[in-house]
Amino acid sequence: MTAMVEERISKIKEIVCEILELDESEVTNTSLFVDDHGADSLGSIEILASLEKAFGVTIEQSELPRMVNLDGVYEVTAEAAGW
Amino acid sequence: MNRVVLTGIGVVSSIGIGAEEFAAGLRAGRSGARPISVFDTTGFEHANGCEVVGFDPSRWLRDLDPSTMGKASQFSVAAARMAVADAGLAGQLTDKRGLVTVGTTDGESFDLDRLVETEVEDGPEAMDGAGARRVPAPLLSLSIARELRLGNVSAYTIATACSAGNYAIGDGFDAVRSGEVDFALCGGADAMCRKTFAGFYRLGTIAPEFCQPFDVDRKGILTGEGAGMLVLESLDSAVRRGARIYAEVLGYGLNCDAYHQVAPNQSSIERCMRLALDDAGVKPHEVDLISAHGTGTKANDITETRAIRQVYGDRPPRTISVKSMLGHTMGAASALGTIACALAITHGFVPPTINHRVTDPECEIDCVPNESVAADLRVVQNNGMAFAGNNASVILGKYTPGEPAVNGLAPVAVNPAAADPRPADNRSEVKR
Amino acid sequence: MSSPAYAAVRPVITAWSAVSPFGVGRKFFVDGVLAGQPTAAPLDREQWPGPDEQACLVPDFSVKEVLGRKGTRSMDRVTGLAVSTIGQLLHDADGNRVVRTGEESALVLGTTMGSAQSTMDFVRDSFTGGQPHHVDPARMPNSVMNCAAGQCAIWHQLRGPNTTLAGGGAAGLLSLDYARRLLHHGRAGQALVGAAEEYSTARAWLHRHSGGTTVLGEGCAILLVEPAAAVGEGRRPLAEVLAVQSRFYLDADPRRALAASVRDVLTDAGVRQEEVWAAVGSAVGEPGEHEHAQLRALFGDAAVNRMPGADLLGDTGAASSALRIATVLSVAERSAEAAGKLVVLSAVDPYGTAACALLRLAD
Repeated sequence: MTAMVEERISKIKEIVCEILELDESEVTNTSLFVDDHGADSLGSIEILASLEKAFGVTIEQSELPRMVNLDGVYEVTAEAAGW
Repeated sequence: MNRVVLTGIGVVSSIGIGAEEFAAGLRAGRSGARPISVFDTTGFEHANGCEVVGFDPSRWLRDLDPSTMGKASQFSVAAARMAVADAGLAGQLTDKRGLVTVGTTDGESFDLDRLVETEVEDGPEAMDGAGARRVPAPLLSLSIARELRLGNVSAYTIATACSAGNYAIGDGFDAVRSGEVDFALCGGADAMCRKTFAGFYRLGTIAPEFCQPFDVDRKGILTGEGAGMLVLESLDSAVRRGARIYAEVLGYGLNCDAYHQVAPNQSSIERCMRLALDDAGVKPHEVDLISAHGTGTKANDITETRAIRQVYGDRPPRTISVKSMLGHTMGAASALGTIACALAITHGFVPPTINHRVTDPECEIDCVPNESVAADLRVVQNNGMAFAGNNASVILGKYTPGEPAVNGLAPVAVNPAAADPRPADNRSEVKR
Repeated sequence: MSSPAYAAVRPVITAWSAVSPFGVGRKFFVDGVLAGQPTAAPLDREQWPGPDEQACLVPDFSVKEVLGRKGTRSMDRVTGLAVSTIGQLLHDADGNRVVRTGEESALVLGTTMGSAQSTMDFVRDSFTGGQPHHVDPARMPNSVMNCAAGQCAIWHQLRGPNTTLAGGGAAGLLSLDYARRLLHHGRAGQALVGAAEEYSTARAWLHRHSGGTTVLGEGCAILLVEPAAAVGEGRRPLAEVLAVQSRFYLDADPRRALAASVRDVLTDAGVRQEEVWAAVGSAVGEPGEHEHAQLRALFGDAAVNRMPGADLLGDTGAASSALRIATVLSVAERSAEAAGKLVVLSAVDPYGTAACALLRLAD
């Protein structure tokens, strides 16, 4: 994993944890925001909005169903950014 | 306890100004949607809304200078003046004990948008003093009292967001019912603003073109604006002075989800409707029409129609959304909805849900697609729901002179000639 | 006009709390009132880069510190003030819940315009962000005036009517009147009633540009109001709400409207002017001087001097008249003489309302 990728992953995790009011230690790459961490639909939109601002990308709302955990969020963001 | 009736209606809306125009718009299924012009929409991929066009505040203001008032206050005052004239009470309320209450979501946020724009461009020192003086939310109601020179009223603004109109109507109903006041001038007002548009856009709930409540392909709301004001008085008072009675207010219900700031809660909405039915003394099967909150978002329409089916069973009354025509007029929405219900009772028709193609199988109701239908309506319910879980349902009944109320309350003695509605022409205000 | 409604329900105040420049909670408020200590202090200009040199702030108030990290990420200051005040009211000193809530609990919360700061911050992002829709979705509810009341409901499970009443300086008394009406019509079994106003840079700028010269303050006071009949054995009301009245005033002159409201509450309650033990105004600055002069003329110096002045907490906007009720209850708590006495509270709001309430303090 390159330093660049690690940095992005770490930034995404920071954003998600800030929004969902979680410690980074509580979240794994596959733990589910809604089922495991009690997130709601507003939380998902907040994550999408923050990613758009942080990485200067546009993410369609239709991608929300894929953004259920950190892996999903990274995948969607990477596609939107062309990483 | 007094029976409470609705005797005056004032409307500022994207499909018509004044009760008559508004009724005609509802019957025709007119759409208020058009490209937004009141703020710069550069950068938004789509920006339709339901603006009020052709509104000239000076036509309705005698005392107040429109430049000292925000747009929402201009709307509320214009609608209030219309409602008072429509009730045949122009100039007669100066010393009468009354309650003036206007519901709103955004108050004068249109002005706040512009103050922020100034601040961003030129710094906070450059903000416009006149603009700053226009923004306190109590002014939406106090400006009505000032313009109409009401010297014996309590006036305040109810800021329970998108159910605020129904909150205000309920408050007016209670005050008239117990005899605390001789009249209530109540309703809701909001002016379209960038803040709310950008917010709903960000939430992904602004429809690109039009609002299609209950449709399987619905894409969200359109923001709208306007005002709806009602004159409520006791039945005794209305009969005594021979006023036209649009409808009787039978009751209402209020509650709070205490659940989520923006997501609706089905069981709480059910409870609100049950509270309203109990308060009105009517049974679910007696309700002929529901004017739903019906925003046209996925979440609202499914949750609300499910709640309706829980309360009304598998064959609920026709359930329409006037937001298909008016967009979401925020604090004015439930006031305009209640007015639409009253006009539907008076004129004997069900307003349609326009822009409708295929009903969402998850919204199992008859939304009266696209075309209004004639109907004799006896009991009608209007729903309002809001951010912060503020729910409010109002129930209106048809008033028939000399007969007991729909809910069995005793009739009052009626002079039939006096109760005869005068032609609308004779009651409309002489314009300056 | 006279209303049978008062007699029917006999609303009583059974508990209260306040978060104010005196501190967080009732005890700090009572001590502050009795000490009569002014609270205006120089502002930290880094945190408050507005036009003001000084203000009356709730000392070291931080939403996260008072309420914890969970659920407070996007909570604004006025919401934090309201949520924490109600939390104080509902719990005893050890944190045990002492007041039940639920479907029968209404909340009537007075405001001027919600959080001007939140509303303006929210739309600012639309002007300065990369895209006009790059606003913070989490903050959208804060940009609407009912945010504080809705959050109070969520935090404290208040599932009855939940009303945000924009009434400016008279909001506390208007909310009390509104709550009385709710109780009278059986729309709730009990009502939490009060008002909240935050200090913010945005509010300071709006105040300055509107020509305001008063030193701004902030705070929240909440009362628990119930029908007298609902107060069971072992609980003692603190005061009975005998009457509340308000009037819009014409031609920028509140005197006639205030006089009429005073006359109405006395008539409603069948009380003679000379029976009033204390008279308490809410406005500060020049309007406050006029208000107090009128109260002196109506009730005499002794009645007005029985309560500390309104300016200890600064111009607390919508919260002012609610905080004045708290002031009266504070004095009553520590004064044997106050028992059973009649108190008139007034409010004169710059936007156009004069209001008045008549309380009878508990024996």
